[in-house]
Amino acid sequence: MPSAPVLSFADATLAYPGAIGLSGLTLDIEAGQAVALVGPNGAGKSTLLKAVLGQVPATSGRLAVLGGTPAAALDRIGYMPQTDELDPEFPVTLRQVVMMGRYRSVGWLRWPGRADREAVDAALTRVGLTDLAGTRFGRLSGGQRQRGMLARALVSDPRLLLLDEPFNGLDQVNRDALLGTIAELTASGVAVVVSTHDLELVRAVCDRVVLLNGRMVAEGPVDATLTLPLLEQAFGSTAATVDGATVLSHPDHGHHPEHGHPAERGH
Amino acid sequence: MGFFELALLEALLLGALCGVVGTIVVLRRRAFFTTALTHATYPGGVAAAILGLDIVAGAAVASVGLVLIMTVLGRVRRQGPQVAAGIVLTSGFALGTMLQSLNPSLPVQADTFLVGSILTVSVTDIVLTGVVLVVAVAAVALVGKELLFSTFDPSGFRAAGFRPGSIDLLALGLIAATVVVAMPAVGSILSISLIVAPAAAARLVTDSVSRMLPVAVVVGIASGVLGLLASRAFSVAAGGAITLVAAGFFVLALIVSQVLGRSRVRARA
Amino acid sequence: MGIEVLWEAFQLPFMARSLATVLLLAVASGVIGVFVNLRGLEFVSDGLVHAVFPGLVIGFAVASTGGLIWGAFAAALIGAVLLTVAERRGLGSDATIAVVLTSMFGIGIVIVSRQQGYVAQLEQLLFGRLLTVTDAQLAQIAVLSAIAVLLIAATGKEQLFRAFDRHGARAAGRGGFGVELVLNVAVALVVVAGAQAIGSLLVLALLIVPAAIGRLVTRRFAVLFPIAVLSAALAGWAGLVIGFTASVGAGLTPSPGATVVLVLVALYVVVLLGSLAATRMRRAAVR
Repeated sequence: MPSAPVLSFADATLAYPGAIGLSGLTLDIEAGQAVALVGPNGAGKSTLLKAVLGQVPATSGRLAVLGGTPAAALDRIGYMPQTDELDPEFPVTLRQVVMMGRYRSVGWLRWPGRADREAVDAALTRVGLTDLAGTRFGRLSGGQRQRGMLARALVSDPRLLLLDEPFNGLDQVNRDALLGTIAELTASGVAVVVSTHDLELVRAVCDRVVLLNGRMVAEGPVDATLTLPLLEQAFGSTAATVDGATVLSHPDHGHHPEHGHPAERGH
Repeated sequence: MGFFELALLEALLLGALCGVVGTIVVLRRRAFFTTALTHATYPGGVAAAILGLDIVAGAAVASVGLVLIMTVLGRVRRQGPQVAAGIVLTSGFALGTMLQSLNPSLPVQADTFLVGSILTVSVTDIVLTGVVLVVAVAAVALVGKELLFSTFDPSGFRAAGFRPGSIDLLALGLIAATVVVAMPAVGSILSISLIVAPAAAARLVTDSVSRMLPVAVVVGIASGVLGLLASRAFSVAAGGAITLVAAGFFVLALIVSQVLGRSRVRARA
Repeated sequence: MGIEVLWEAFQLPFMARSLATVLLLAVASGVIGVFVNLRGLEFVSDGLVHAVFPGLVIGFAVASTGGLIWGAFAAALIGAVLLTVAERRGLGSDATIAVVLTSMFGIGIVIVSRQQGYVAQLEQLLFGRLLTVTDAQLAQIAVLSAIAVLLIAATGKEQLFRAFDRHGARAAGRGGFGVELVLNVAVALVVVAGAQAIGSLLVLALLIVPAAIGRLVTRRFAVLFPIAVLSAALAGWAGLVIGFTASVGAGLTPSPGATVVLVLVALYVVVLLGSLAATRMRRAAVR
C-alpha cells in the first residue's frame, strides 16, 4: 500500500501578511525523492521552505507535511539554512552547534544526555568533521560550516530534509561531498528538498525539479522540466542552451533575503 | 557586621551577578539596551524618593514598563532598536531630571541614583542582590541551551519550532533586574561598566561560552572587591572605583588578546 | 496670563538668549542627527556624551565656569578619535562603547568626588544651566554649531554615500576614516555646544529624537532635514514657554533642559501614534 506523501501542496498560495509570496503550488513529494527548487532570487524558494516549517501560512489551498500540519511534523524535519548571517566571533564550538539540533527532543529544563552526545558524534562522522568537533564554529572554513549545519539538520534523524542554497560558495571537494550525502540520504528513504541555482547539480542528484517565479511555473522529472522554454518562463532570457544542456547565463550569487526584516545592527 | 563588611558582601554578590547577566548582555548585543535601561530607571527612583518609597522599588517598576516600551518600539518600521533605546534613554533621563528639579528639597540627591553608595547598602539590598543572583544562575542552568541557540542563530532557533519571544523576555527581565539591584550599590550609570566589562573581557580571552561565563563571574567579583578596596585606599567614590577597575580588566583583556592573536599568526607562518 | 506669553516671555533678555540657544542647537543637532540616525550611531553619540563629562569636570576644576568649554572640547575630540578608531578596528562593538562610556563617566566621578561638596557641581555639569546662558556662552554655542554644520555641509555627499552604501563608498575611495571622523567630530561639537546649556545628556535627545520624527514622517532624504530642525525648534520654543509659565505662574522650578526634551518626546509620541494609525488605515483599505 503506498504511504502518504512526505510533502503535499494542493493549489496552495503562500503569503506573508501584506505581500504574496508564492501561488499555484501543486506538488507531491515521496519518501526517498530529491526535489530541487529552482528560480531567480525573490521567486519564492525560501518562502516554500518556510511554509514547510510552519512559518508562512497557506492562505488558500492545502499544505500537508508528513500527513499533517507543519507544526506537528517539525520534529521529523531537518533544516539547513544559509550560514552567512551568523556571527563568526561567537564563542560556540562545532559540537555545540550540532547539539542544537537535539534541543527539541531534549526538551526544556533538561540537559543533553548520552544518547544525544552519541547522535552528535554520529552526525559529525557522517559529514566527516569529527576531528574539528571542538573548534570554534566561526574558525571553520565556509565549506566546513555548511557541513556543520548539515550535521545539525541530520542529528535528529529527520524524514524530510530542507536545504536552503547549500551549494553557494562551496569548492569542488565540498560540493561532491554534499552530493554524496544527499544520495545516501535518499537511498535510505529520506526526502530531500533543496533550493539552488546550479542546474548541473540538479541534474546530478535530483529526481524532480520545481520551477518557481512568484508562482509555480512547472514541476516534474528533471529532464522533462529543465527545458529552455520552461526555464525562460522562470528566469526570463538569462537561460540558454549550450552544448545541448540548458544553462543560466547570469546565475545570481549571494543571499538575497526574500522577506525584508530590518536587520539588527550590532552596535 | 560593620558597614564595610556589608559593602564587601554586596560587591561580591553583585560582581558575580553582573558576570552572569553580563555574559547574556554581551552575547546578545544588548549593551545599548542596558545603558538605556540604566538611564531610564532614574525617574523611577526619583519618583519613589518623592513618594517616600524605596528607590529600588521605584526603579523596578519603571524598568518593567521600559522593557516593554523598548521591545515594542524596536519593532516599528524605520525606527528600530537603536532609536528605541536612544529615545527611552533620553526621555527617561529627562523625566528624572524634571522630577528632581521640581522637588529641590528631596532627601536623596542625584548622585545616589547615578553613582550609588555601596557603603550604605542595607541588608534588604544585599538580600535582593542575592535573590536575583540565584534566579540568574537557575535560569542559565535550566534554559541555558535555549538561550545559547536563540542568541547564536535566531532564525535557526525559530525554524526549529521554538518561540524566540519568551527567551527574549527572560533575557531582558534578567538584565532589568540586575540594573535595578545594582542601583543602590553602584548607581544606575556606573553599573553599566560592572555589567558589560567583565563579560566583554571574558569574551576576548575565551573561545566558548562554557568558559566565558565563569571567567566573567570571577572578573566581576574581582572588580567589585578590588574597586571597593581601592576606593577606601584612595578616598574616592566607590562606584567610580569599581567602574574603573572593571574597565581596567577589559583593557587588560584587550591587550592580552591582541598579543595572543599576533603570536598565533606568527606560529602558523 | 494669556496667549501673549508665547512671544512676550522672550522680551526678557535671559529668555531671548535661551531661545537663541535652543534654536541654534535645534539647527545643528537636527542636521547632524539625521546622519546619526541613518548611520545608526545613536550609541556612539551616547558614548561621546559621556566622554565629555570628565572634560567638563577637569575644565571646571582648573578654570571654573570659563574652563568648562575647553575641557569639554578636548575630551570630546579625544573621545571622537578613540571611538572612530575603535570602530574601524573592529572593536566598535556595543560592548566596547559601553565600557568607554562608563569609564569616562567614572573618571569624572572619581575626580569630582575628591572635592568637597561635589554634589552641587555634579548637578550643574550634568544638567546645564539654560536660563543663565551669558552672551559669551551664546557666542561659543553659535560658533561651535556653525562649525559642526559646516563640516557636515562640506562633506555632505560623502556622508550620504557612506550612510547608504558602505561598501560602495569604500570601493570608490570615499568611505573611509575621514568621513567617519568628521561626523563623530561634528557630533562632539554639538555635544560640547549643548553641554553648558542643557547638559550633555539632554543634547543626545536633540540628536536622536528629531531625526526619528523625520523618519516617521517621510521616506525622502532631503525632507528629513527640515522636519528634524523644525521639530527641535518647535520643542525648544514650546519647552521654554511652558517652563516660563510654570515658574512664573505656578512657582515651580522645572529644569528647562528637561522640559524641552519632554516636549520633544511628546511630539515624537504624537507623530508615532499618528503614523501607526495611518499604516493601519492603509492596510485596511488594501484589504
